[in-house]
Amino acid sequence: MGQLTTRERELAAAILVALAVVGIAMAAAGRADPLGVHGAIVLLYSMVLLFLIMSTSFGPAPDPSRVSRYYDDPIKVGVAFTLFWAIFGMFFGVWAAAQLAWPSLNFDTAWASFGRIRPAHTTGVIFGFGGNALISTSFHVVQRTSRARLPDQLSPWFVLFGYNLFCILAVTGYFIGVTQSKEYAEAEWYADLWLVIVWVTYFVLYIRTLARRREPHIYVANWYYMAFILVVAILHIINNLTIPVSLGHAKSYTIWAGVQDSMVQWWYGHNAVAFFLTAGFLAMLYYYLPKRAERPIFSYRLSILSFWGITFFYMWAGSHHLHYTALPHWVQNLGMTFSVMLLVPSWASAGNALLTLNGAWHKVRDDATLRFIMMAAFFYGLSTFEGSFLAVRPVNSLSHYTDWTVGHVHAGALGWVALITYGSLYTLVPAIWKRERMYSAALVEVHFWLAFAGTVIYVFAMWNSGIIQGLMWRTYTEEGTLSYSFVDSLLAMYPYYIARAFGGLLFLIGAVVATYNIWMTVRGVPVAGGERHDDIPLAGPLPEGAATRPAE
Amino acid sequence: MPELLHRKLERTAIGFVLAIIVAASVGGIVEIAPLFTIDETVENADDMRLYTPLELAGRNIYIREGCYACHSQMIRTLRDDVERYGPFSLAVESRYDHPMLWGSKRTGPDLARVGGKYSDFWHVAHLTNPRDVVPESNMPAYPWLARTPLRLDDLGSHLRTQRSVGVPYTDEMIDNAARDAFGQAVPDSQQASGVTERYGEETQVSAFDGVTTRVTEMDALVAYLQVLGRLTKAAYRNTAAPEQPPNPND
Amino acid sequence: MDLTHETLVEAAKTWGLFYLIGFSLCVLVYTFWPANRERFDRAKRNILDEDDQPWT
Ligand code: HEM
Ligand code: HEM
Repeated sequence: MGQLTTRERELAAAILVALAVVGIAMAAAGRADPLGVHGAIVLLYSMVLLFLIMSTSFGPAPDPSRVSRYYDDPIKVGVAFTLFWAIFGMFFGVWAAAQLAWPSLNFDTAWASFGRIRPAHTTGVIFGFGGNALISTSFHVVQRTSRARLPDQLSPWFVLFGYNLFCILAVTGYFIGVTQSKEYAEAEWYADLWLVIVWVTYFVLYIRTLARRREPHIYVANWYYMAFILVVAILHIINNLTIPVSLGHAKSYTIWAGVQDSMVQWWYGHNAVAFFLTAGFLAMLYYYLPKRAERPIFSYRLSILSFWGITFFYMWAGSHHLHYTALPHWVQNLGMTFSVMLLVPSWASAGNALLTLNGAWHKVRDDATLRFIMMAAFFYGLSTFEGSFLAVRPVNSLSHYTDWTVGHVHAGALGWVALITYGSLYTLVPAIWKRERMYSAALVEVHFWLAFAGTVIYVFAMWNSGIIQGLMWRTYTEEGTLSYSFVDSLLAMYPYYIARAFGGLLFLIGAVVATYNIWMTVRGVPVAGGERHDDIPLAGPLPEGAATRPAE
Repeated sequence: MPELLHRKLERTAIGFVLAIIVAASVGGIVEIAPLFTIDETVENADDMRLYTPLELAGRNIYIREGCYACHSQMIRTLRDDVERYGPFSLAVESRYDHPMLWGSKRTGPDLARVGGKYSDFWHVAHLTNPRDVVPESNMPAYPWLARTPLRLDDLGSHLRTQRSVGVPYTDEMIDNAARDAFGQAVPDSQQASGVTERYGEETQVSAFDGVTTRVTEMDALVAYLQVLGRLTKAAYRNTAAPEQPPNPND
Repeated sequence: MDLTHETLVEAAKTWGLFYLIGFSLCVLVYTFWPANRERFDRAKRNILDEDDQPWT
């Protein structure tokens, strides 16, 4: 925060004071309700930040030459948030997995019972880990590809800290029983409103940075980030239209009911997958893959085609979550059709990534970071194929409600989302901290194998259990009665639940290794001379070739 | 943001934003808009009743504890679903559900028609420790429910909010919300008769948790479980045959 | 106008298809428009420049 100007500091302080007042109001209005607890959290959060701002406010004025450099400080903090939420969310994942195998592991406490820590897991990994990774990398990518510094120094901080306040409110809420029960949108109305404010700021910041760009063409990674920001805003607002019981209640009732609610919810849910867990991470792929491999993307045109394909098709596919339900038949069929068509742009993206590496396989062999990215593209291809397959009604009649869905989810979440994130982080961290390389290449290698083994064990366990479960539910005896009771099918699941917890544990250990490695990299010495040769302001001595570029 | 509007380059960015919005919104509109006219095509259910205040409170506890994460409430139109759980779910049955709780995972069995399947006593024992009644179960225990008194004073505002999102609660129901919640869980009290008057003769009035001195969260949750699938009989009148799943044994 | 379920479903089905075709045509034209070729090629290579500072 050292680079904030006096005016920016004042503005930040004003925002934080206003936030603290909101916190007090919430605490007062919600005395008899969990809302009060959240008021106290908001108050505490804003006070801590206020203290941080105040304690630096008498420091020296920021260096005027800063405007000729990129603004990377928020990215550094964002990386720290990402690593924290990864461990938090995956720890809860492992815990939840263990509870399904050994139910007494919640120690009969309310806050730790499965139904409450499961959303803490999903929110922690998707919004905490994934969201912070998206925000941090987007700040990095948009500056580099636009050749422009972020337009001001306050809004990136507002976005970052505001977003994490949302995550904290959401996750703590589940522990104390605050939830809307809408999957991936469990946070209650006040947290949702706050997220809208944060998100609008994020959008404006992004557009303003693009507006300052020196490249006439907007690089395709930014398209994906833009789609992520925009569509998530639309989805979030529409799905979360609710009426609170009163201003002193955390509880609210959604305006949608029954079958409409189901369609709105899964239109949201599926596109949260599409624009949160796919579009944003494809943006990472399209930037960090060429960077790391030092080769241009195989086909730029293909990336454009698949961009529009994904943006367009995904929005139709949500109803594949509602096959054979009370949702009208034609909507189910529409969802199925578009889900199958989705395979085309999805595989175009995955193929584009793998073909980029064609001819550089020796690099993939030697560089674990690149292998992370390559494996991510592979799992992206796998999980989208699986997804399109599961969207076909007869297949879904077997898979729906079973662990097969969970296996599919984690093939995407671990194999694609988490691997691409770590691949990007290992590329990003040395770059913004001006280090020659990561602290330990061997630890990156160790992380890769832990993550890979963890994913494979997890996914295979769930494929097995899901398919067995689905088959047992529909097996008939000779006499035409159902062969197995529900409990029979549950009993068959236990070995797989244990295997899954083990696979998840490996993955979690990998995340801890990554955090340690990044921590040591940051603590290590910067590149000799203090700056990497490619990060000197224009006036300084330029390495050969660099000076000729900016002219265009 | 004047810099934003004036430069030529910016038009690309804005145009681009619009293109994304256009591309992305159509799919949702096409699929969702027609659903708001669905009342015309949905099955009829004149006998549909509303959740009593106690049941609604129980539903909110079901949400709070995350039961929906492991239990679906949507019987699909498949033969094995129907034979295991009962007639397939109709749209009208969740017509007043804000939000719907159809669920997406069956770690435990479907609950759409669990109402009346087990005794109150069974439910209380099961929720207090599932493994006492189903030794193989991996469901968490909820011992605190029977210990925690139910908050009654704000039930009226809950019903009023429900009404503002479209559930036809009457003024009388809203005014008597707390009394009705008490009466439904304490059969011998004078408040008990009002519940059946307002919500119908079929409403189950019972000492759900076995204790009549106070109303606990256990009362509410069991009351809710016992009404699941019993708000209307429409599903039993529906004569459409369930679909045959592609059965490998056929 | 009377918005019944049937008319809405009809409209959704027919116009949805036209829209899909029109949309894909626009995207295809944009992607393969000859004048855009150079732009795309430049974008593809430019990000690899090891030139890590804002341009002024
Ligand atoms: C350490 C690794 C992880 C473990 C052990 C783990 C474990 C679990 C468990 C036990 C569940 C509940 C499944 C059920 O209800 O049957 C779950 C659900 C889920 N997890 Fe994870 N998880 C891990 C990592 C992740 C990551 C990195 C992500 C996303 C980026 C993720 C996203 C999800 C989602 C979206 C669900 C909900 C699935 C559904 O509703 O079908 N998980 N996870
Ligand atoms: C072409 C791409 C994809 C298609 C067509 C697709 C399709 C599907 C289908 C049919 C389901 C099962 C719905 C059900 O039976 O309940 C599903 C669930 C899910 N998928 Fe995908 N999928 C795709 C890609 C992905 C990717 C890349 C990810 C992740 C990172 C992902 C994450 C999820 C999640 C989180 C769920 C669970 C939703 C829930 O029930 O809570 N999907 N998907």
